[in-house]
Amino acid sequence: MAAPPEPGEPEERKLLGFLDVENTPCARHSILYGSLGSVVAGFGHFLFTSRIRRSCDVGVGGFILVTLGCWFHCRYNYAKQRIQERIAREEIKKKILYEGTHLDPERKHNGSSSN
Amino acid sequence: MAHAAQVGLQDATSPIMEELITFHDHALMIIFLICFLVLYALFLTLTTKLTNTNISDAQEMETVWTILPAIILVLIALPSLRILYMTDEVNDPSLTIKSIGHQWYWTYEYTDYGGLIFNSYMLPPLFLEPGDLRLLDVDNRVVLPIEAPIRMMITSQDVLHSWTVPTLGLKTDAIPGRLNQTTFTATRPGVYYGQCSEICGANHSFMPIVLELIPLKIFEMGPVFTL
Repeated sequence: MAAPPEPGEPEERKLLGFLDVENTPCARHSILYGSLGSVVAGFGHFLFTSRIRRSCDVGVGGFILVTLGCWFHCRYNYAKQRIQERIAREEIKKKILYEGTHLDPERKHNGSSSN
Repeated sequence: MAHAAQVGLQDATSPIMEELITFHDHALMIIFLICFLVLYALFLTLTTKLTNTNISDAQEMETVWTILPAIILVLIALPSLRILYMTDEVNDPSLTIKSIGHQWYWTYEYTDYGGLIFNSYMLPPLFLEPGDLRLLDVDNRVVLPIEAPIRMMITSQDVLHSWTVPTLGLKTDAIPGRLNQTTFTATRPGVYYGQCSEICGANHSFMPIVLELIPLKIFEMGPVFTL
């Protein structure tokens, strides 16, 4: 996230010049879906009502709600994934450390299942 | 360390900093959307042709703009408090290092397994080797093991200082007459930089902190344990 771009790598592009959506997990995904939701909601409302100003309001509201919804959903899944990765990492470390000893997690598991 | 013109946080080197970065992203997204809404409202206010001098109340709108900010604050506060209590967890540190601020250098004491005490001065520009970082590198780094909980006891011998290492998510004030404690567990080896974060005189900007985090096996073989 904080490493400067290496020579040869494409330059970082930030939304509005300062929002680092490329390196923030879920940000790009949420903003894109939010933009899509905004266009669909706003344009759809306009098609049905022909009211420009109200359609813009719906579009903005749609952007905020869809972005927020996608953001929380994606971050929740990302947090679950991180926890699973951490558990997997700890288990691999334990396996490597204790393989063949009485503390081997696999031996304990096999022992309890055979009992 | 930070690179030139960096705006965002540095990569995390401890689990707490990972949580802080996650929280920062969460709060920033909420702030961005609120700003977007406010800017849009401002735009509408500036461009509307509607004028109505007879509005006396707007109960529904007032209810919404009271309850909604309260919900947003709860959404921000809950993860914040979770991280706050996480930083205060007791985790049985393996090593205790004392860090004492002076004008304008740091003294580090490794007293757990010996009597190693040394000062850490910024390298003056004339003494820099090729590849050294100006205003960041020091003569004696703080060498510590990774993947081991470490306790830092921080104080000052003269004026207020602040011991900071951004990549570990650490910032603790060094207050004369007071002992502050912070703990951390580094997850990856490397050299990490920080700078004094409390104004302490003419050379406040010239008393950096450098941590050299190495694997535990190599740390155990090092000179700390031979004293």
